[in-house]
Amino acid sequence: MTHELALFLVLLKDSALALGGLGSLPLIRQDLVATGIATDAQVVQALAIGRLSTGPNGLWIVSLGYQIGGWSGAAIAVLATSLPPLVMVPATAAGRRFLLTPAFAGIVRGATLATAGLLASTGTSLIAQGGVTTAWWQLAIGAVAIALTYQGRIHPGVVVVGGALIGMLLGR
Amino acid sequence: MRELVRAWIAIGTQSVGGGTSTLLLIRRYIVERHGWLSHREFTEMWALSQLSPGIHLVALAGMIGQRIAGWRGVIASVAGMMVPAAFVTAAMTAAYGLIANEPLARAALSGMAPATGGMTLALALIMARDARRHGPAVIVDALVVIIAFAILTFASGSSVLVIAVAALLGAFALRRERPESGRAEE
Repeated sequence: MTHELALFLVLLKDSALALGGLGSLPLIRQDLVATGIATDAQVVQALAIGRLSTGPNGLWIVSLGYQIGGWSGAAIAVLATSLPPLVMVPATAAGRRFLLTPAFAGIVRGATLATAGLLASTGTSLIAQGGVTTAWWQLAIGAVAIALTYQGRIHPGVVVVGGALIGMLLGR
Repeated sequence: MRELVRAWIAIGTQSVGGGTSTLLLIRRYIVERHGWLSHREFTEMWALSQLSPGIHLVALAGMIGQRIAGWRGVIASVAGMMVPAAFVTAAMTAAYGLIANEPLARAALSGMAPATGGMTLALALIMARDARRHGPAVIVDALVVIIAFAILTFASGSSVLVIAVAALLGAFALRRERPESGRAEE
């Protein structure tokens, strides 16, 4: 199997099994970082660029795809992230009644709550990436980012740029 | 059709940061400016798009495109929103790649990592807050979040398996809460 096809299948599977643009982060990290195809630094860059760039924030996967495989990696990522959500087009036409059943609401709730737990774990490990050497100011950035994002009044790009600027001042 | 593509390109390239800013632009172009959908239709499609796998906004774009112009509308809407925005994203990544190994860029990364980590954690909290039920059922819902967190943090268990098991469990044990008297169902 070519690298391109393997990357496509991984991103397609992870997008299809996650809810939301960022929901696939724990899955992708497990499939690509744990296996040495990408690094955590690349994931952080992708997440940051995804927040600063235009379009849905799920496009962070395109940034990661570019870092792994150049322009073809980016194109693969666009295709792999665009296809799974489109299952809703025939699904809403044919099975709208099923989508509104309590059982389906339960399925979505279960998947959402589990994704929340997985994302919380991933977020924690991104903050504490340095392990015991994580600096106080990095923990502070993490705490402030949680508060600002949860409140939702400040644009996410500002949080990313703020973190980068503090890093430039204190992380040298 | 040309107008549809133009609207989605504008949505994809003018919204920075995704999420709410993209959603507001979709509403502005599709409902307010062009009148292709009513407010009610838009709200219903948005609610259905939240049930989709992957990027919800892609599902929303696909459903809106289908309603306006059939399958050609699906392709026009999704490609219009995604392709130019993806190009911008990849170009930004390429530009950053040129300086990524500079000491200053490495220092910036040491601040961006906890910032993106914190944003990810906040999103987890928001997802859990919005999905949880009320009353005693909230304990069960919180347990699902905590167990998923623990499995990945302490056992490096399979994320896919965690989501699959939780979804299966959800079909039986995490169904919609019963409406209580005096409180409208969500």
